[in-house]
Amino acid sequence: MATTPELLPYHQIREDLFRPLSRVSRAYMLVTVIAFIVGAAGLVAWGFQLRRGMGVTGLQRPVFWGIYIVDFVFWIGISHAGTLISAILRLTDAAWRKPVTRAAEAITVFALMIGGMFPIIHLGRAWFFYWLLPYPNSRLLWPNFRSPLLWDLTAIVTYVTASAIYLYLPLIPDMAQLVEHNTPWRRRFYRALSLGWTGSDHEWRSLERAMKLMACIILAVAVSVHTVVAWDFAMAVAPMWHSTIFGPYFVAGAIFSGIAALILALVIIRKVLHLEFYLTRHHFDRLAKLLLLMSLLWFYFTIAENLTVWYGNQPGEMAVFGARTRAHYAPYFWTMMFLNFVVPFALLSIRRLRGIATATFASVCVLIGMWIERFVIVVPTLSNPRLPAASSFYTPTWIELAITAATFAAMAMLYMIFAKLFPIIAVWEFKPHPQEED
Amino acid sequence: MYLIGEFREKEAVAAAIRALRALGVSPADFDLFSEEPVELPRSVLDRPSRMSAVSVGGAILFGALATAFIWWTQQNYRLVTGGMPVFSFWATGVITYEMTMLGAIVATFGWFLWESGLIRKRDRTKPVPEIHPGSMCLRVRCRDGETAQAADTLRRTGAIEVLHRGEA
Repeated sequence: MATTPELLPYHQIREDLFRPLSRVSRAYMLVTVIAFIVGAAGLVAWGFQLRRGMGVTGLQRPVFWGIYIVDFVFWIGISHAGTLISAILRLTDAAWRKPVTRAAEAITVFALMIGGMFPIIHLGRAWFFYWLLPYPNSRLLWPNFRSPLLWDLTAIVTYVTASAIYLYLPLIPDMAQLVEHNTPWRRRFYRALSLGWTGSDHEWRSLERAMKLMACIILAVAVSVHTVVAWDFAMAVAPMWHSTIFGPYFVAGAIFSGIAALILALVIIRKVLHLEFYLTRHHFDRLAKLLLLMSLLWFYFTIAENLTVWYGNQPGEMAVFGARTRAHYAPYFWTMMFLNFVVPFALLSIRRLRGIATATFASVCVLIGMWIERFVIVVPTLSNPRLPAASSFYTPTWIELAITAATFAAMAMLYMIFAKLFPIIAVWEFKPHPQEED
Repeated sequence: MYLIGEFREKEAVAAAIRALRALGVSPADFDLFSEEPVELPRSVLDRPSRMSAVSVGGAILFGALATAFIWWTQQNYRLVTGGMPVFSFWATGVITYEMTMLGAIVATFGWFLWESGLIRKRDRTKPVPEIHPGSMCLRVRCRDGETAQAADTLRRTGAIEVLHRGEA
């Protein structure tokens, strides 16, 4: 009896993985409708904000960056799930990556689309976002290329382009196969997107070469993107932001939250699309180990960051440090430490406890913990500026919360639609691995 | 004239290509069709590529253009910099870097589409075989007089079926 999917006949693999595309279950419809309603509520909230102005949010002097920037950093971090993990596993020829990569790459593209919306939402006057683009205008004024906000724009545009191509390339052979057995509109859709793929060795070799090259490039881009996001903060001479390790700290945190998002997505896909044979305990075990590794790395960076501030004892920095660890924001800080370090360490470091259920639970904790981490980084610094008299608190309003909830719903909806249009596991990648053959 | 040999084993495909090349068929006359990538031993059916060079070229081009554009805009609308340089590479280096990467990405993708033939005009006279699950089809272009010998070679090396298609 076959014990791994690679040992199944190819037509069986194809049938199993193409089957979810043609059926719509009641649970699928229910989740999509709920996601749509929550997403629509978020759009209404945004419409209200556009009409009334930024005064409807909780943003006020001195806290001008609130949940929108937290969401922006969080979603850009989640986007590291895919491309970075997929690229690393592809370049290291990890055979177990096969059922994982496409799900991860899709997370990247959708998370970037959602994350990229937040600077626009945060602008208030969203219709002026094009002022960031360098175009000849009547005032002869160019964007300031020295501004980290423009760095963000270029980094995100590059990353979205790279991720979309990286997702699209391995989809081509699968879409070419989907042309054969489908409804007329789907046939036209897949034929157009597969560009007349025939499966010749010219095409395969070009594809494999392009995937290897793209994996190398995308690694460099992914690291730079979250470093640039970190520099949005670190380039400001603000307490507990102006840190040299913010770049790697953010990249580590991004990969950490990305792996958690990937585990959660895979668990849901496995259950909803009945892919238990393809997404096995073995895959979750590997991902859980990666999550544990990143949890330790994140803990190390957090300690390094906070310990140096505490030891330095600078009044401006200590005000923020105190607010984070002992005062108003302490519940957030200690919850973050518990969810991001204690839970994953307790559940995933003991082999006997490490399973699909515990990995899922740890992932949910990490996702919540990493969202809180972004909040703890952004808000206390702004609440405690160098002028103590200007200190204040920030509380988000229902508008901000509704928009935040809508982004999670949008992610779920985009993912559900994607899983119905394209095979969520790359079918052609189930070829026998050369090393396995050896 | 084209011959299409259907194979089940990649070792048989490699043997067929070696035998046909010994008969004088050029590597450009072979095309192997499959549902998944087939990894043949080195030198059996090598397809040299310039993709890496094109990728580096795209990176250099975009990086240079981005730097030139930033330099020009800084000169075109001079901001008050308080005695600091009007154009600073370090302060705009992130944009140069990202555009360099974008150049590499666009060039790689564009070259992939070109090299694979997906966006080139197709030669409709070349037959595209239907691939059955688990099989590989080797398409060989033969000159008149070589067809019978080539078909025999395909069968001898393990082709389960050999078809004759079109005009050369």
